[in-house]
Amino acid sequence: MSITVLKAGLQTTLQGAPYTGHRHLGMPAAGAADCLSLALANFLVAKSFGETAIEIALTDASFRFNEPCSLAVVGAAEYLRINGDEQPLHRTLEIKAGDRIDIGPSRPGCRTYLAISAAIHAESLLGGRSTYLAARLGGFQGRTLGNGDVITFSPDSPETAGDRITPEHLRPHFSYDHVLRITPGPETDQISESLLDNLCLAPYIVGGRANRMGIALEGTALSASESADMPSAAVFPGTIQLPPSGQPYLLGPDAQTTGGYPRIAQVIRADRHLIGQLATGSRIRFVRTTPEKAMDIYREKLSLLSSWLGRIKLW
Amino acid sequence: MTGQTYSIHICDDWISISLPGWDMILAAQSALSTDGHWTEIVPGIDSIAAQFDPALLSPAEAVRIASERMERLAPMASESPSAVKIPVCYDLAFAPDREFVAGKIGIDADILPAWHAARTQRVAMLGFMPGFAYLQSIEECDTIGRLATPRQSVAAGSIGIIGRQSCIYSFDSPGGWPIIGRTPLRLFDPARTKPALLSAGATVCFEPISKDMFDNWETEAEE
Repeated sequence: MSITVLKAGLQTTLQGAPYTGHRHLGMPAAGAADCLSLALANFLVAKSFGETAIEIALTDASFRFNEPCSLAVVGAAEYLRINGDEQPLHRTLEIKAGDRIDIGPSRPGCRTYLAISAAIHAESLLGGRSTYLAARLGGFQGRTLGNGDVITFSPDSPETAGDRITPEHLRPHFSYDHVLRITPGPETDQISESLLDNLCLAPYIVGGRANRMGIALEGTALSASESADMPSAAVFPGTIQLPPSGQPYLLGPDAQTTGGYPRIAQVIRADRHLIGQLATGSRIRFVRTTPEKAMDIYREKLSLLSSWLGRIKLW
Repeated sequence: MTGQTYSIHICDDWISISLPGWDMILAAQSALSTDGHWTEIVPGIDSIAAQFDPALLSPAEAVRIASERMERLAPMASESPSAVKIPVCYDLAFAPDREFVAGKIGIDADILPAWHAARTQRVAMLGFMPGFAYLQSIEECDTIGRLATPRQSVAAGSIGIIGRQSCIYSFDSPGGWPIIGRTPLRLFDPARTKPALLSAGATVCFEPISKDMFDNWETEAEE
């Protein structure tokens, strides 16, 4: 059973749960850049939150389904069309063999998830299946999908979702304005006491250098002269590094596991899924919080989501 | 270990522990790995980080558990039982910067392989890409710096050197280290029981091999 990629778009990959427990081997997390949208899409087709789906970034994409199944689309897409007819996002939809799916460009936001009710075949390694592009591992031959690629999947499971619609209050709001909450990083105080105040003072703009690995931020330069190299140390998705240019660099889901620039802040786990929706030109306002408050925010968010999605994790 | 020798910084779901030296970092890695609280434990050059799930553990608890571990920490035995042998072909076909590096050290390019292979190295950490190894030797060699312009593509297996550090590229990737050779071994293979060939703390010996040996290397023999 299969899906033919008619138009792949700029960066369409197979993504699900991140790789965990292998960062000491240099293996990054990878996985869905917006794990909340992935979880919502999977739930609509009765799948567990971290199962493999198709992640589409920025541009439009088209697929032909060669067999029937249910699907759901969640994310930044401007529209969803089935055989040319407009259909809603956030809803379980039935697909017949031969149907054509057109997913609009990300406006606003950056990424959209297409989940299907059957198990997508993806390269399996280290307990995961997500695509890690830099080392060409996982997913669809470790790479982005191209026009004409055929994604295969197993027959639909007997459990069906029925017709599900994401409750309005749980649908993420998409825009080009984001608020990301941060805690101080290990090197924050070594650079200057007012570093985080300055980071939080005015919005930063997502620069042209933005991909799954990281995002160059444009805005107020921060104490560049103080930002020396340091001995390489662990970094994570959501870590904000300060290179000598003084322009902060925000790490994404494919963040390398270690880095040599000072780690000045960390985007809290509850807000990290928003990194996947940052498109070039987006504005980010950083707001400082504490680790304890970040935990409360995370637990509250999980509690709210669990009323619909059941037990889930964000990463 | 006393409070003076380590310090803990907490972000919302990971901690960074500054530690004096490799032996303490390896000891911390070993101690933390038995806790069951940490989803990731990542050694750095002079620190170690551990990530946790804030749905299950509070930041205060994470700091308390890690502090208790650090208070009772003793350095690990400093030498691993046997060195990992890494065959390296230093042929110019694989060593575009051999002349450059030899010039920086002030030796003849022909003896660079022997010079490099004579330096026992230790894996400080893995990072950058899966299986990519950062190695350190005791001897200082400050004269070798990064390339002025990074290469767009460095072949997997390439050996780079900057100062007292060497590195081994695990996948084809961009890179700015001067390259002096290439190993036929696969640094990272997810199909192996241990996907990464090297691990932090391992001692490494480089063994020069000819281009013929490189070309005919049986990759299956590396397990």
